[in-house]
Amino acid sequence: MASVLIVEGSIGEILESITVAKLVGGEPVVLAYGSAAKSGDLGSIGARVYKLDAIHPDPIFNAVKKLYEEIKPIVVVGHGSKNNRDVLSRLAGLYDLPMGTDITKVVEASDSYVVYERGFLSERAVAQEKVPLPAVLLVNAKVFEPASPAGASEVVELPVEEGQVKLVGRLEKQLSGINLEEAEIIVGVGRGFKKKEDLKLAFELAELLGAQVGATRPIAADYKWLPEDAWIGISGKRVAPKLYIAVGISGAPQHMAGVNNAKIIVAVNKDKSAPIFKFADYGVVADLYQFLPVLIKKLKERKGQ
Amino acid sequence: MGDIVVLVKPALNPDMVRTKPDGSIDIDAIPLKLDDIDANALELAKQLKSALGGKVVAVLLHKWGSPARRNRDLRMVTQEALARGADEAILVSDEKLADGDQIVTSQVLAEVIKKYVPEYSLVLVAEASIDQTTGQIAGRIAAKLGVPFISYARKVEVADGKVKVERDVEDHIQVLEAPLPAVISVTQEINEPRPPTLIQIRRAAKKPQKKLTASDLGITPQPKKEVVQYRILTVTRKQIIIEGDTLEEIAEKLIQALEKEGVI
Ligand SMILES: Cc1cc2nc3c(=O)[nH]c(=O)nc-3n(C[C@H](O)[C@H](O)[C@H](O)COP(=O)(O)OP(=O)(O)OC[C@H]3O[C@@H](n4cnc5c(N)ncnc54)[C@H](O)[C@@H]3O)c2cc1C
Repeated sequence: MASVLIVEGSIGEILESITVAKLVGGEPVVLAYGSAAKSGDLGSIGARVYKLDAIHPDPIFNAVKKLYEEIKPIVVVGHGSKNNRDVLSRLAGLYDLPMGTDITKVVEASDSYVVYERGFLSERAVAQEKVPLPAVLLVNAKVFEPASPAGASEVVELPVEEGQVKLVGRLEKQLSGINLEEAEIIVGVGRGFKKKEDLKLAFELAELLGAQVGATRPIAADYKWLPEDAWIGISGKRVAPKLYIAVGISGAPQHMAGVNNAKIIVAVNKDKSAPIFKFADYGVVADLYQFLPVLIKKLKERKGQ
Repeated sequence: MGDIVVLVKPALNPDMVRTKPDGSIDIDAIPLKLDDIDANALELAKQLKSALGGKVVAVLLHKWGSPARRNRDLRMVTQEALARGADEAILVSDEKLADGDQIVTSQVLAEVIKKYVPEYSLVLVAEASIDQTTGQIAGRIAAKLGVPFISYARKVEVADGKVKVERDVEDHIQVLEAPLPAVISVTQEINEPRPPTLIQIRRAAKKPQKKLTASDLGITPQPKKEVVQYRILTVTRKQIIIEGDTLEEIAEKLIQALEKEGVI
């Protein structure tokens, strides 16, 4: 039977990728690195497992390359994490393999090709593409059901083989640990807020609604006014609340891609031609500094009743 | 050594998506623009140039449909790259290379670098593009050139023939070091690109530009990926603007609407 090489840095993602391996009809062989390599669950996923105690790309790439040459898989599959995209794009470049990324659906799979869907034009559109095998496939999180752990696995530890790029330091990010993916209501904040302190308006609104606060990429990753796990969008988190209230957010496709699955979207923006109004159910054209205090007051009154 | 290559993509503008009556995407009708994060890469090149002592070369590849229809867009994107700090531009455009996949793109770009900018120290690439957003070109090119690769750079410093990078990973930042030459993919956070000034735009027109075809590079494109279809993602949002004489009235109407929806 042909094999499918699964490359993952987190244990939860391995089981989803095993489902993808089954879809394309191959025997899963797993390379687990980073936190996945340290997981106590590795021994019970029911596949051949190689583990590698590394977190930066060069040693991961060296291990992937070795395994690729050894087992000649028909597909290399993993999630689209930054490490995976780094090492698997190199593998694709080395062997001129086609590489499908950010896959949201496998439409058709055979032993010679795979047809899948992915976002296009910053997810304002969908592309259906067909690639011959062997190929690299990066799948989105939570698209495929995790396979149930299928019993004992043989776990082999691989030696760490460094490359020319050396890891010389590590800086920790301050994360909030909030789970935006599970939130029922999210207040999203954007660059319409002029300074960090002003976000207290959003937090007050969120508290009244029992909501979490999320953000656009510049607010979280660039200005760091919020922890980076508040970052919503194509390169951040994908959320599915029943209500998303976007405040001072322009509606860039890369942000909206993260909230496509919200049931209701409300937009508060002072520019009536802001793109966000086309992607919202209810729009309020107003200065957030004037409107949020009024909305907060009205919600307090409602609560008091 | 010393030159900096910046890969610049004339990308389909996702804010101006055009469709045909059957819901498929009208690629030829969507304007091209200089890709968003390419502006960050050009800004970084401008900052690193003096430390490396070479020139900044923008390398562009036309990808979408017949180049003949895109002359104006391609000229504009090339000019913008020059105005944003490139000293020279090399544009590859050829009917034969149109609609290629990432295998073709990376073969072409690696070949241009090897043949036309052999003295490079750095190749800077955006972490992802706004039209396809596959984020795989930088890694492919590094593998083809056989040089070190560092992705998702938030900070880049060069000194003593080495590059030191702060690389974004989801939950932490890695500090990585590599010998030059190297390929680096940059994030949007790395800097705040300044829009070009009038003088920079005027000077851009006088900078050297080269145009190449597939045969100049000796490449016969053999794409493997096939597009089955492109279709618009239909967003069915209500798009109701809540109006009222006062903000109080608007807030009340909004609360009522959300109660009716059963979401608060
Ligand atoms: C490859 C790539 C990936 C990306 N990934 C992401 C991602 O995952 N997530 C993400 O969010 N972005 C992402 N981006 C960035 C994205 O393109 C936008 O730049 C970003 O989303 C804009 O954030 P914003 O809406 O906060 O800011 P802006 O676009 O600057 O919008 C601010 C808005 O606030 C309004 N405003 C200003 N003052 C007020 C006021 N007083 N009251 C009310 N409204 C006001 C303005 O009218 C404006 O519409 C990505 C970009 C690229 C190229």
